[in-house]
Amino acid sequence: MYEEIRIAIEVVSAIMCFILLRFMIKPYEITGESRYIGLPAGFGFLGATYVVSAFVYYMESQMALFPLLKIFYIQLIARTFAFLFISITYYFSKKPTEKSRLIWKITLTLLIALLITSLLIVSIPDVTLYSYRIARNIFRVTNLIIILYICIHTFRSHIKKPDPKTILIPLAYIILLVSQYSALFYQLDGSLSAFFAVLILRLVFLSVFLLVSFEAFYRGKKEA
Amino acid sequence: MKKIARRDKMKIYNDLLSILQSENNNEVVLTQLQLKLNVPFDRLKQYLIQLRELGLIEDETSPKLTKKGKQYIHEYQNVLDFMKRMGLEYR
Repeated sequence: MYEEIRIAIEVVSAIMCFILLRFMIKPYEITGESRYIGLPAGFGFLGATYVVSAFVYYMESQMALFPLLKIFYIQLIARTFAFLFISITYYFSKKPTEKSRLIWKITLTLLIALLITSLLIVSIPDVTLYSYRIARNIFRVTNLIIILYICIHTFRSHIKKPDPKTILIPLAYIILLVSQYSALFYQLDGSLSAFFAVLILRLVFLSVFLLVSFEAFYRGKKEA
Repeated sequence: MKKIARRDKMKIYNDLLSILQSENNNEVVLTQLQLKLNVPFDRLKQYLIQLRELGLIEDETSPKLTKKGKQYIHEYQNVLDFMKRMGLEYR
């Protein structure tokens, strides 16, 4: 029963991410600035990891866990990179100089190289459940740190120029942060409340992003 | 001395189209347009040719905004609003 709910939520999350991807690519399309490409890349990766999760949870009921561990690993890495892509977009959005553009290009190239290398490394050796569990906790803590940075960045941006319109996104990132924190708790004690908190908070996070995106693009259209 | 932020091409396009929009499709003298946009005349001519090729204006010698040009201004403003809401900075 829980697995079915989980698969459904993963699919809904993936759909929401792919809708968001269409909005997230617009800053890059309209400004031509490659430093905004991290946002669509991040949401694209995030959506892809939810698709993989749905697939793995579905397969879990059909076959043994062991062959799926590598896919779990890939999903873990891809999700962390998704948050990394989003965070570097925020970091570089405030420094539009020639030097920062060069650093951005180097950072992006390094990140892509690191992502490919990480995926290659996990696809070669045999993965044990024990090593996966350790890696999972390390990746979750890394995600927490990255999301915390994004929260601080967006809050600072809101405080600099307070506007009711700009408060929703920092709040959404805090919801994502709590969701990741709950995921860590769920891994430690396996409580059902933590399990549902992860999924519900993630849906709330994505819903806020969708609301903000639709408001920015479609409310403006109505007013025009 | 206060440093003036460097504008990228898209920002200049938007500024140019917004000036044309504020003129309400009346005939615009290119030298006035140059002063308002604050760019060298030869650069202004290049921008006007590019905008005409993109279908955002009609006739670069006496530029007038097209429907596509109006849509561009609207879309540009929406994206700026979206970026502001997202907590992204854009200069």
